[in-house]
Amino acid sequence: MKKSFWSLCRKDCRMMASGKFFFVALGSFVLYTLFIRFGYLQFMDMEIYNVYLYDPAGTQTEVSSLVHPVASLKEMDALLVEDANGVGIDAGDGRPRVVLYTGSAKLDCHRADYALSLLHPGREYVPEIVGSDNLEMKNRKDITCELLFIEIVAVGFLGIASVLFKEKQMGVIRVHAILPVRKSLFIGSKVLLFLVTDLVFASLMTLCNVGLAEAGDILSAVLIQTAILSLIMALTGFICAMLLRDFKQFSLAYLVIALFVATPVFLSANTSVKMAWIHFHPFYHVYRSLKNAFFDRGVTSPVYYICVVWVIILLYGIAWTALAREMRKEG
Amino acid sequence: MRGLLYQLKSVRKDKFCIMSFLLPVVVAVVLHFSGSIDLSSLGELQFGVCADDTAPEAENWLARYGSVTVFQTKAELIRAIREPSTNLIGVTMEGEGIRTLLSGDEWAIIWQAASTLPQLYEMREIAAEADVQLLERPDILAGYQNIFAAMTLVVAMFMGCIFNAVNIISEKEDGVAFINEILPMSFKAYVLQKIFIGFAFGCLSAVVTGAICFRLSAAGAGAMLALIILSALAAAVIGLFIGHISDGLMMGVVYIKIVMLIFMAVPLLKYLAVTDNKVLSFLCYLIPSSAAFEGIMNLVNGSAQAIGKDMAILMAHCAGWLLLYQIFNSSGSRCDI
Repeated sequence: MKKSFWSLCRKDCRMMASGKFFFVALGSFVLYTLFIRFGYLQFMDMEIYNVYLYDPAGTQTEVSSLVHPVASLKEMDALLVEDANGVGIDAGDGRPRVVLYTGSAKLDCHRADYALSLLHPGREYVPEIVGSDNLEMKNRKDITCELLFIEIVAVGFLGIASVLFKEKQMGVIRVHAILPVRKSLFIGSKVLLFLVTDLVFASLMTLCNVGLAEAGDILSAVLIQTAILSLIMALTGFICAMLLRDFKQFSLAYLVIALFVATPVFLSANTSVKMAWIHFHPFYHVYRSLKNAFFDRGVTSPVYYICVVWVIILLYGIAWTALAREMRKEG
Repeated sequence: MRGLLYQLKSVRKDKFCIMSFLLPVVVAVVLHFSGSIDLSSLGELQFGVCADDTAPEAENWLARYGSVTVFQTKAELIRAIREPSTNLIGVTMEGEGIRTLLSGDEWAIIWQAASTLPQLYEMREIAAEADVQLLERPDILAGYQNIFAAMTLVVAMFMGCIFNAVNIISEKEDGVAFINEILPMSFKAYVLQKIFIGFAFGCLSAVVTGAICFRLSAAGAGAMLALIILSALAAAVIGLFIGHISDGLMMGVVYIKIVMLIFMAVPLLKYLAVTDNKVLSFLCYLIPSSAAFEGIMNLVNGSAQAIGKDMAILMAHCAGWLLLYQIFNSSGSRCDI
């Protein structure tokens, strides 16, 4: 049995290599790393509001250095048109009057009060820090987690399907139906190879993009969550590839997952937008756990792990039944 | 004509084709009828306070600036502050004033707000008397909702690209591509038949999506229709091109993934970030969805006269991609009979 299993693994490995799966994974890793280094990290910040002051008579004497003086009201208007989040203060008659473009009511109120506070700067205050990451590290962890999730959900899912559809075409499943090899080995060899590939991919992404020092503390937790996601996606891909007629139909399932299932998860898990139904979304919990692993927050609930184990067992059962059905159909 | 009828007949049996064109319509219906997603929390500050610590007066004052969440214990508050998906500012009382708590990984704007909040609290009575003049500008959050709808429309327009690419890749895998090579058919007839389904159903899907998402005047609807036709045509030809250069299923899917990502990300980034930079703007127009997205946003924002440029760019894309496909095709295996 051991010999059969390793033979199957070798065969699947060759199939994956000929389907350019390893090439695609490596290419994705390089592309994502370049994107994180030279794209994402450069843009992900939001600067403070600019405050422009028109005060020809110099009535405001204690103005903060964050205020930009302007020579005329016309210049201030032009600057506000360009920078609609900025705030203008007209102190032409000695009494400050705040001018700003409306956004949301609460934010307008804060912008106006903030601008006025810069006319009377008090003692410098530094907020108390209760976290351990800085902005750059948070951005690194955020984007690495997102890209890892996308890669495993989309490419792992597609990879197993491309191998299986190829095998279907080549008649490999028909041959397996008459071979004295257990169906569990057929499923196991594929799932194991994708699991190993995903774990290597996750390690590389974490080490290169989060940094060696930080990655040491979180890598084991990240790999556990990656393994869970990888097993779920590989088994789902296996089931879809067995049940669907051709790759075109499979691509639709991929499209649904990549575009319309992952989007609400990202929106809920990465922003303050919370949708009431999102807790019923199975990917939400897996993504949250992966993200918690990246931010060293741990998953404390044993319910999550119990559910995950049951889901994997259930998916394995469905995959086994789908393979048996396909073999009966072929044979 | 008979070839086109055969193509239509094959669609009837193809669930992938029907469903892929229906997907954007489904999303449009969800966006339109479910009251869409509540994005209001994105635009305002978020504060967290402890139930037994903060005075009601301070809580009411904070509510002027953003949403306030009350936590039962300080441990809960700190856990929420450290939650990476939010930019929560913790507020606790300190004598007559307040102090703020941050996670340390927030944007500069949140850091600045937290640094100045205690001073704003001290100055609250002076600030309340200040004269504030608000100038009108379109609702930013409504703009974001339009972006969602416009993006769905762009996906609908460019769905023909995916369909055509997958169609050609499948034909290559099944060996139909070899049969096509010996068919007594001119290049023009082959291209027409191959892009027909992707183009026609892309148009149909985009028209229905547009009708659900936007309310336009007659002239605006005409301009939108022209945008849809040009975009769907460019997408259908690009799909053909991707199918032609793809070597195997996996590579085809990777190309489609990259193309979809670029088609969605570039117009969004251009719209949100780099409109001032002329060189970058020009480079963005190399992606056809940029012009399509810009045209849709111009129409929705009521500046219909500005879409002439977008239409010209889309026409150039249609011609350019057809020419590129012809060049690649003539250098490849298929002969122009």
